Formats: sequence, structure tokens, C-alpha cells
Amino acid sequence: MTAELFAVGISWRTAPVAVREKLAIPDEDHAGLLAALVRAPGVREAMLISTCNRVEIFGACPAGEAERAVAEVRRLLPESRGVAPASVAPVLFDHVRTEAVRHVFRVASALDSLVVGEAQILGQLKASFAAAGTAGTSGPVLGRCLERAFGVAKRVRSETSIARGSSNVSSVAVELAARVFGDLHGKRVLVVGAGKMSALAAKHLRHAGVDELVVTNRSPERAARLAEELDATARPWTELEELLAAADVVISSTGAREPVLTVPLFKKVAKRRRWRPIVIVDIAVPRDADPAIGKQDGVYVFDIDDLERVVAANLAERQKAAEHAERIVAVEVGQFDAWLRAQKVVPTIRALREHFARVADAEVEKLVLQLARKELSPAEREEAVRRSVQLVVAKLLHQPQMALKAADADGLAAAVQRLFSLELVAEAAVAVVERESPAAPDPATPAAAAARRR
Amino acid sequence: MSPPDPERLLSVTPSPAFWVAIILYGVASSTFLVSFLQNKPGVLRVARAVLVGAFLAHGFDIGWRGVERVHPAASVREAIGFLAWIVAGGYLAASLRYRLDLAGAVISPIVLGLLAAARLSPVGEQSEGLTLLGRVHISLATVGVAVFALASALSAIYLLEERNLKRKKFDARSFKNPDASLDGLDALSQRLVQAGFLVFTVAVVLGIAWVAQRGESMTRPEYPIAIITWMTYAALVSVRLGLGWRGRRTAWMALGGFAAALCVLAIYFLRRALGG
Repeated sequence: MTAELFAVGISWRTAPVAVREKLAIPDEDHAGLLAALVRAPGVREAMLISTCNRVEIFGACPAGEAERAVAEVRRLLPESRGVAPASVAPVLFDHVRTEAVRHVFRVASALDSLVVGEAQILGQLKASFAAAGTAGTSGPVLGRCLERAFGVAKRVRSETSIARGSSNVSSVAVELAARVFGDLHGKRVLVVGAGKMSALAAKHLRHAGVDELVVTNRSPERAARLAEELDATARPWTELEELLAAADVVISSTGAREPVLTVPLFKKVAKRRRWRPIVIVDIAVPRDADPAIGKQDGVYVFDIDDLERVVAANLAERQKAAEHAERIVAVEVGQFDAWLRAQKVVPTIRALREHFARVADAEVEKLVLQLARKELSPAEREEAVRRSVQLVVAKLLHQPQMALKAADADGLAAAVQRLFSLELVAEAAVAVVERESPAAPDPATPAAAAARRR
Repeated sequence: MSPPDPERLLSVTPSPAFWVAIILYGVASSTFLVSFLQNKPGVLRVARAVLVGAFLAHGFDIGWRGVERVHPAASVREAIGFLAWIVAGGYLAASLRYRLDLAGAVISPIVLGLLAAARLSPVGEQSEGLTLLGRVHISLATVGVAVFALASALSAIYLLEERNLKRKKFDARSFKNPDASLDGLDALSQRLVQAGFLVFTVAVVLGIAWVAQRGESMTRPEYPIAIITWMTYAALVSVRLGLGWRGRRTAWMALGGFAAALCVLAIYFLRRALGG
């Protein structure tokens, strides 16, 4: 099997969403495009991934045909979406051979993602690969490459901190609450105000295992609406003190011009809480929580700037981890390349084994007959076996020797020396040649020249 | 200056397991530190595995000394070596449930230091034969102090992480690579304090009885400090259970109590080592 890999596509790196959306491929069109791709000249295997950040086609083709396959895909991909290939040619990227493998591994490991280390891309890639399998367009080379890519992604996630920490402001509330409480199951979250951001943050907390969500707002109607959206309970604004006393996490985003979570209010609340910790995530501008309440024991207040700083710190940490991840990818790409190269010589190895086996089998057959037919003494038996083995060796060496003696066989001689770890000095080589070839040496060979010098 | 006499230094020839434990505790200490600083999960797994190896080797050494009739309650030196083993085991047990990278980096060198201090320090004058009461007292006090040591390490980490969170040091190493949550550290530390307090209370009562049995007065400095230790932990348990105190205040109290316990141990240790 001699094959090469290629990747062609468009991503957030090369084009804005206005261009990417033109090439986005709906799920129902995947099978059709995949079938068209593998019919194209040079393309043997293909899969495609289409997400909000990328539309890419990975494929395998016969050795030496990567450029041709890439050209076909560069034409087919835009045409399938009714876009003129020339209009998107500058924003389409392509990789072939080793670079294509590296690209697939980097995509799987979320090193090529807009948010480095994000978790979704791996799932999307697995789904795309499964779809190609269903469409019958993935094969052994692409299959091996993707399997390795999934393995690399797993390695990257377990051996580096690339996936640690929240990467967006709305999910940082979960991270901060987890720093204080660990497991959020059984915790009570109070949403103060009915802003969009607080709703998002509350959804993240719900997803993280929070059981009880309570919404309060000056407008009972808005509180009820948000409560319905979040599957939460709406409570009157007048119960704020009581609700704060019971809450573990507070998400606040009212439109108030003055703080609603004040020091006097928290002094009253603190007594009822008996020093139980509370995390206040204040995403309102102007701020809802007086920063002074954070001085109380067990009260942790974070405003919008803090959330953004956490995101920045997490992303910086991910970038650092990405350097380590790139090294892992480089090693894995090398291993995959070695595997791909090995596939090229597999037929030769198989033929060589079969040839050797045929020669050996023929001689063994003769030897068995010879030993069975005659009444031989032990010494004669030994001699028969020795002769038979020598015959096998001679037969196996005949063709290589002829080839080595050819006028232009210097390279071949070097290859043989390397294959069998032969270290010959000139004189020893001559002696061997003279002993094994009683006939006059070919005057053109280096051995003959050495003999003449002597 | 002549080299120290090994017989005097080691009282009983140490088993190979002792040296293995010393080396592995040293390796575990540095590996935990690397794991914490570099934030690499793979290194943490290695650190834990090495600490398990050290703990097993240490346990083997304690067993071997038992065969040699040097049991853990035979002297303060032995008790300190045993204390180190319990601290290591307690940490390993706690780390099954909680993520405790920083705690590992704190506890491993403490265990190494305790073991080295216990075995590689001068034997000093041997005390007269211990009664059963004395042995039970030493054993229980050792277990109690070991549990307090674990609780204190967790309290120290709680205070560090809590301070970083309050001061919003989001780029601090302990924020990027946190141990268990603050609530988890607080709860675990307080559970250990309560368990240790029960054991230590029995040890103190038996200690008083032992002093009386020997006809000594309570004038030695370690006795009132031991009582102060007990009172600090008694106060801690009371305010925790009665008034609901938690977090920073109780963490400081746990550290204060352990500092007093360390004073008692240090006085005992120096007296025995210097032959007082």
C-alpha cells in the first residue's frame, strides 16, 4: 500500500465567518459530497468536517498524486456549495503528506482551534469520521491516521494542562464556585437580576450539577420568565436577605445604579449564615456588590474584570501547555510517517519471505526423501544435511551475487553491507571473493583491482 | 572531630528498607514539587507511586525493627519515626478522595525530615523500661499528633489558597494548579482534628496517670505545653461544633495547636537525645 495524505479546507485562521458560512456543509449533504470526492481522480479515501470554525476535507491518495488530489478537492468543495472556486481559492489552505498528518493531529488536539484546548472539536472529528465510515469513503490509511489523531488528542489532554480552566466569562462562575465548594451538587444558586449574562452563567452552573436555582428580580414578571427558562424558582425581591442567607453562589446582574449587595445587608446575612462560605459573581456594570463585603470571612466577591482576568490567565496557561502539546504532536507525526513508509515495503518483504520459503521447502523435501531412502551412517546423514543447507544458501545468494557483480552495483553493495551489518576491509573482501569464486574475477570489480594491486 | 559511632547513631542497624524509604521519600518530595510547579498530571502520578513505595518500605522497616524488639512506642525517637509513617499513610488515604498536589509537596519533606530526625539523630541516654501505661500513652499521643500534623498541613494549604482567592491572584501557582476545594480542605482538616482530638485526649489522661504512677510532679515544661495543646484543640472542636466556626479562624487554631504539640515533641526529643 503506497499512499499519501492531504488536507484541504477553510478555517477561522484563513477566512472570516462571512466566507466560511458560504462553504459550510449541512449534515444531509455530507454523503453526497464524500461520494463525489472519492470519484475524483487521485482521491482514494475522504472525510469532511464542517463546524462553525472550519470546513475541511481530509483524504488519502496514491503516492505521488497528492497535488492532483488537492487540486480536485479545491475545485469540488466550493462547487458543491455553488461557489466559484476562483473566488475562494485564496482563503482555502491545503497540506500534503507529513504536513497533512500534522494538521489532522493538531485539529484533533484542539491546537488549531480558536480557543486552544476546547473540548468540542474532538467529538466533532469523531462524528465526521464515523459519517465517512457510514458513507464508505474512509479507508485503511485515513482510518489509521484518524485513530492516531484521537490517541494524540487523548495524550495531549492527559499529559498537558491544555484543557484546564474556563475559557469564557460565563463559565468562569463555575470554576470559581468549584474552587470554594468543589462538587456543586446540592448547592443553592441565587440569580439576582434577570440579565442575559447571568442566565448564561446560571446555565453553566446547572450543567455543573447545581440542584437548586432561585431567581429574584425587582420585576416579578421578568424573574418568572427567567425562572421558567432556567427551570428555576422565582422569589420576590423583598426576600433578598433571606435568599442570600440560604445561597451558596450568587450571580448578580441587575441594572441598578447603586450596589444592591451592601455591607450592612451582608452583616445581617453573615449572622444567619454562621460563616458558611458564599461566592458572589457580580457581572453587572455598574457593580451590584460593594467590594467591601469581600473582606468578611468566607465571602468571595468577583466582578466582571476578575472573570476576564481568570479567562486571560487560563488562556495564557493553555498557550503554554500548547508548546508541550506541539512536541507531542511532532513525535506522533514522526511515528505515523514511519508507519506510512513501512507500508511501501510491505509487498517486497512479503515476496522476499515467500521466495526464501520456496527455496528452503524444495531443499527440505529433497533432503527428507534422501534421508528416508538410504541406509545412511550418522556421518553421512550429517554430511547430507550440511550439503542441503549449503545448497539453500547458495541458491539464495545466487541472484544477489549476480546483481552485485554487475558493473553499476556499488550502491547495491553498500545496501547489502548495511542490510547484513557487514564491515569489510578491502583485503578481506578480496579473500572472500577469491575463495567463493574460483573463476577469474571480473577485471572491472574493485575486488579484482585489489587483487592486482597485491 | 571523630566521626559519630554508627551504633550510637542508629541504635539498631537499619534494614535496607530504611534506606530505600529515605531515598524514596526524597524522590517523592522533589517529584511532588516538580508536579506542582510544572502542573503535569503524569509527574503527579509518578510522585504518588514513589510515595507509596516509600510508605511500604518505611512500614517494612518498622516491622523489621519490631522483630528486633524495637517497637514504635519504645522511645520518643521510635514514636517520631512511627508518626512520620502515619502522616505519609494518612496523606495517601486522603489523596484517594481529594486532589492534594501541594499537600504532597508539603507533607513528603516533613515525613522525610521526621524519619531522618528519628533515626539518624543521637540515641542519647536510654530511658528506663517503659510500663504498659507509658507505652499506650506514647502510642496514642503519636497517633494523635500525626493526625494533627496532617490536619495542620491541610489548614496551611487552605490559608494559602484562601488568601490567593481573596486577593484574586489568578496567576498564582496555587490557583492554576489547585488542591482540593477550600470547603473540602476545611472539612477534611476539621474531621482530622476531631478524630485526633479524641485520641489525644485519651493520651493526655493516660499521660497524667503515668506521671502520677512514676511519682513525678507536673513541673517539667512539656507537661503544661501538652495541656495547652489539648486545650487549643478542645477550643477548636467546641467552636466548630457549637458556634459553627469554620474557614480561616479554625485553620489558624489548628496550626496553633500543632505548633504547641511540636514544642512538646521537641522538648521530649532534645531531652532524650541530649541525655537529660
